Amino acid sequence: MALLWRTLVGAGAGRGRLIGLAALGVVAVLLGANLGADAPGGPLEHGAALVSAYGLSLLVPVVTLVFASSVLGDPSEDGTLVYLWLQPVPRWQLVLTALGAALTLALPLTVVPLALAATASGGGLRLVTATVVSCTIGVIAYAGVFAWLGLRVRRALLWGVLYVLVWEGFVARAGDTVALLALRTSTRSVLGHLSGTTTAGAEGSLVVSVAILLLAGAGGFALTVRRLTRQEVA
Amino acid sequence: MVELDRASKWFGDVVAVSEVSFRLGPGVTALLGPNGAGKSTVLRLVCGLASPSQGEVRIFGGDPRADHRLYRRLGLVPQQQALFDAMTALRFVALTASLHGVTAPEAMAAEALCVVELDPGDGRGLETYSKGMRQRVKVAQALVHDPELLVLDEPLDGLDPRQRARLIGLFRRLGEEGRCVLVSSHVLDEVERWGSRVLVLAQGRLAAEGDFHAIRDLMEDRPRRIRLRTDRPQALGAELLGAGAVAGVTVTGPDAVVVDTVDGAAFRRMVAPAARAAGARLLELVPLDDDLESVFRYLVGR
Repeated sequence: MALLWRTLVGAGAGRGRLIGLAALGVVAVLLGANLGADAPGGPLEHGAALVSAYGLSLLVPVVTLVFASSVLGDPSEDGTLVYLWLQPVPRWQLVLTALGAALTLALPLTVVPLALAATASGGGLRLVTATVVSCTIGVIAYAGVFAWLGLRVRRALLWGVLYVLVWEGFVARAGDTVALLALRTSTRSVLGHLSGTTTAGAEGSLVVSVAILLLAGAGGFALTVRRLTRQEVA
Repeated sequence: MVELDRASKWFGDVVAVSEVSFRLGPGVTALLGPNGAGKSTVLRLVCGLASPSQGEVRIFGGDPRADHRLYRRLGLVPQQQALFDAMTALRFVALTASLHGVTAPEAMAAEALCVVELDPGDGRGLETYSKGMRQRVKVAQALVHDPELLVLDEPLDGLDPRQRARLIGLFRRLGEEGRCVLVSSHVLDEVERWGSRVLVLAQGRLAAEGDFHAIRDLMEDRPRRIRLRTDRPQALGAELLGAGAVAGVTVTGPDAVVVDTVDGAAFRRMVAPAARAAGARLLELVPLDDDLESVFRYLVGR
């Protein structure tokens, strides 16, 4: 499966795509550096707010969406899925390898710049640790969901952006029940708990938030396997 | 090796394949039909890429949709041109070999590429390859794990005549060695070179099945319209009509007559003697409805 993983990483790592998404990361670092240690409320609170508002609300879901939705979605749309589908390999292995490829690309482009941004903001080791953990779990959760979306619908990128911006950005703020259906609520909760800040929004318990994110990732993985197994291939 | 039992496939209101049944064993079988006849859908059913809406499809006794282990014994040349364009041919074929558990995948991939006369050392990405080269890469990836069942969807598309002849020879040899080779084509002349067994598919139905020569005779003996160019069209037309070789005659010009035959074989036997009897020089004989579509329409209507 190593060759398949390399193939999928190579297919996902278009130069323009990498540059564009890396630029989003650079913006995070610049924002972190410009906050300054003398920001009102203290650097920890402001660093956490930055990671929450920009990193967990935009960078993590968007970068993960780009790679996870295309890792199987692009082959499905361009007709190359047949070369993966007709292999004598359990479907879960194909999906796991594909998710591995998506994570390989998404994690460095999210966790590294946000950890640098947290460092640059002067929030200290606690904020950096909280950022790394919440980003990593968030990427895993979003990857499972968006990989399924990539196989399930055409123009998955558009649907994914609508989910991130409209659902998570606006609809999920309408009430606590709706907020549970937004992964952002859980990633921000993990960040808030681990950093000990309030601006990140530490709603619900840490354990529940981590469980929701891991369940979302696992559920997305299971749905992707099911979809790949049942899908008709052109 | 392959068994379809009253297999149907429809997409919404469109019936792509209707109650098709056949069994295939070792050897080459050509799936012949015009574009849109349902050939690719049948091949997708055989490979498990699509599930039948009704009926049953089995390969090696198992359900190709449910048992991925069957793919170890299956090689497919799909119709679509898409490949992993950033990869080299060697890496692309090695990927298939590797996922099929072939030992020394790169060496086997290189061997498969040599079989189709491609250079394994070519470092260019597949996006630079011509249509014919891409077609041969697809054939190499289908062959690399030495499958018992080879499914080829229009495999000669885009190839030059020399490559066509070479691949036809290769597939015939694989059939003679005991593999089951199922190949689709819409070119009648091409199918003749594949071998003896033919499945004719038209409008989603199996219109004819059996030995190629028998089916060709069936096709050639159908009613047809033929234009004859001659220096004495009226005389020749009258002679053919009188001999009962044709059902209708229309003189369409000073040197042309169009006839409607009811029995192609009888017409072929009678046309030369009729021309001699009429004192006419027969300059040209052109079938006006000899395209595959009309052949298939006839077979379906029988």
